[in-house]
Amino acid sequence: MTELIVQQNWFVWMTLLPLGAAVATFLAPGQARWIGLTTALFLPFCALAAIAATVFSTAQPLTVGNWPTPLGIELRTDGLALVMLAVTALVGFIISCYALGYFPPRQHHLSRTHYFWPLWLFLWGGCNALFVSGDLFNLYVTLELVSLASVALIALEGGKAALAAALRYLFIGLLGSLAYLLGVGILYATYATLDITLLGEIISDSRLNHAAMSLMIAGLVLKSALFPLHFWLPQAHTMAPAPVSAVLSALVVKAAYVVLLRLWFEVFPALDTLAIGHLLGLLGCVAIIWGSLMALRQERLKLLIAYSTIAQIGYLFLVFPLARGEAMAGAWVGGVLLMMTHACGKAAMFLMAGTIHHTAGSDRISRLAGAGGPIGVQVVVFTLAAATIIGLPPSGGFFAKWLFINAALATGQWWYIAIILSGTLLAAAYIARVLGWAFLDVKRSSYPVIPWVMKWPPLALSVIALVFGLIAYAPVQIALIGAPVSVPLLVEFGP
Amino acid sequence: MEPALIFDLVLLLILIGLAWLLLASTDLFRAVVLFIAFGLLLALAWVRLGAPDVALAEAAIGAGITGALLLVGLGRLGSTERCRFSRAPLTFLQRLSAPVLVGVMIPSISLILLLEVHQLAGTTPGRQGLINAFLDVSGSGHGVTAVLLNFRAWDTLLEKGVLLLALITIWSLDQARPLFHQEDISPQLMGLARLLLPLVIVVAGFVLWQGDQAPGGAFQSGALLSAGILLAILVGYSLPQRWQGLSLRLLLAIGFGVFLLIAAATLLYSGYPLQYPEHLAGSLILLIELVATASIAALLAAAVVGGHPPDDLSTPAAKAPSTSGRR
Repeated sequence: MTELIVQQNWFVWMTLLPLGAAVATFLAPGQARWIGLTTALFLPFCALAAIAATVFSTAQPLTVGNWPTPLGIELRTDGLALVMLAVTALVGFIISCYALGYFPPRQHHLSRTHYFWPLWLFLWGGCNALFVSGDLFNLYVTLELVSLASVALIALEGGKAALAAALRYLFIGLLGSLAYLLGVGILYATYATLDITLLGEIISDSRLNHAAMSLMIAGLVLKSALFPLHFWLPQAHTMAPAPVSAVLSALVVKAAYVVLLRLWFEVFPALDTLAIGHLLGLLGCVAIIWGSLMALRQERLKLLIAYSTIAQIGYLFLVFPLARGEAMAGAWVGGVLLMMTHACGKAAMFLMAGTIHHTAGSDRISRLAGAGGPIGVQVVVFTLAAATIIGLPPSGGFFAKWLFINAALATGQWWYIAIILSGTLLAAAYIARVLGWAFLDVKRSSYPVIPWVMKWPPLALSVIALVFGLIAYAPVQIALIGAPVSVPLLVEFGP
Repeated sequence: MEPALIFDLVLLLILIGLAWLLLASTDLFRAVVLFIAFGLLLALAWVRLGAPDVALAEAAIGAGITGALLLVGLGRLGSTERCRFSRAPLTFLQRLSAPVLVGVMIPSISLILLLEVHQLAGTTPGRQGLINAFLDVSGSGHGVTAVLLNFRAWDTLLEKGVLLLALITIWSLDQARPLFHQEDISPQLMGLARLLLPLVIVVAGFVLWQGDQAPGGAFQSGALLSAGILLAILVGYSLPQRWQGLSLRLLLAIGFGVFLLIAAATLLYSGYPLQYPEHLAGSLILLIELVATASIAALLAAAVVGGHPPDDLSTPAAKAPSTSGRR
């Protein structure tokens, strides 16, 4: 029995199960909530089993249909895939619980409730397929799955503004995908293979390959909303219902970034990428400052969080100039760690913004005056989650930034330290602005009762984000399984 | 100069010219018609490149079904929106983006491709040899079918998912509205449909069946069938109310669902998703193709109809005359 469980390829099941559940919820819309919740309950255990199988019995990557690699599609169980599967399972579970309360069963707009589940399960399955894929064209297919599901979820709220935001997101997604696909086409025409591992071994430093790389990176940068290609993000992320905003900010943006990490460290390491790395780093810096300043100016809570996402994406792109020489492993781990904690923290923040909107009747920040009393739980959860966005110890955000600063010191690029520190200060400022209103001494009364699933599950998420730094050892070790960074992690953990 | 080369050059020039015309057109109807013409000529280009499978798919889906989708969409827009398209004031960045895209990015990419095109000639032996080596055990006699449904079946599985997801997206947006007024059906069209429909069904079956040995298969056959369904809808056939619930959903989802079940079963049985047992490979591929054809036909037709059927989930007040699905 134990053998059967250990020997199952759980990471493949994590793609098949949500997709199967999506079909089931489409066929039986009346039972969608329970099918969705059961799947969401099951997937974290699948993730644990997948990690256990890799750690204890060194499960090998496999190819679909067991064909040899240039022919078949490789599915990988390396560290990056495993930690992303696990984080998605955790965040997805919490979001599913929250959605039970957010889309109550008997409501006027029945279709909204019923279409949320198949779309969200498709998105989840698509993300999982993306994380384990080791094939450039298969990555394109998974990106399409994720984008299309996101478009539909954004439009779920209905109304002109939401439709406009969804349509714009669709066009952006298509443009990004096509640029990526053109790059894939060039690589395939040259090397007759799409497998990431094989390409990484045979690729050479030619002009054509540089063109392919630029196209693919440009497409993915557009999809992951790096400044100045972030223009679509605030509308798309704020027009959506709260659980969808959480999914988009926590997971969907990261999906494109995971593909970027795979390309940069596994397909194109043979190319001279110094200049492009610095360009991405520069854009990341501008994104940190610009996103934070814009967040500081927002009147609405969801817009503030969306601009904060733009700033946090800027941090993620610091990996590319920093991951060099001795600092390679440190910067890479910092990026992965930031991706994980930001997924937890930002999901908790968006879910709480939804609850606050639900209770206070508006998401204007000024309407939060005095909210700290009657809806104290929500404000506390928001604050805890915000701690990881600011980067306070012992949150995961703190350790990720610590690793970045170490990498900047090791490679002698001190200016990134200045940017990281000012970004931290600005983040503290815009969070403090929200809390300042919430803790004003204003008498407020008569808030509506909200279901417990909208209160307590996000608390778990924000607590995990907060203590992530303390438990970071295990995830980092898992992430380093089969990591493309060969230099051992030189930096110490802890201040 | 060889006649074939001249033909190719003329085809290329016409393609580029059509693309430019349709992008520059401010009249949306004209743009859609040009788009359909572009799709048909592009199919011809695929034939010239020796890719008849892609050509069939491009003609049926790229030109046919997409053209129908665009025309239906255009019909729903009404005349006022069609005009407004050309008058929206552009912001500075919008003005800037077109020259940057057209004037800088595309020429530079094309230039690099032109300069380095000799590398594309295939410095490494292509995948063809490898495909041929494994064709005997793939369960299909045609290389393209073997790649799509065996070697790279994972991609095809997910693509089927994308198709179903696209329909769920359409359904989540709105309820279906009638495509046209019932009294508009002309007797000539009715007669034509009676002649064409059996033919379409036979040809679709043939295209599906020959996919095992020659260009063809589920996508092309499904697109043909969906054209038949649309023709049937145009002459007034509609899906009875009692089949618009679970039966319709089952038909739409069965292609992806059966494929998923086979992936799960093989994963459970052998530890590798979609590793068919060798003696069953042919039958499994046929099964997948059959259900996929039915689903693709229904999905494409339902996409053109647009919106979810007025079923028990929506408000009982909305009981619009149904036009969805098959005859």
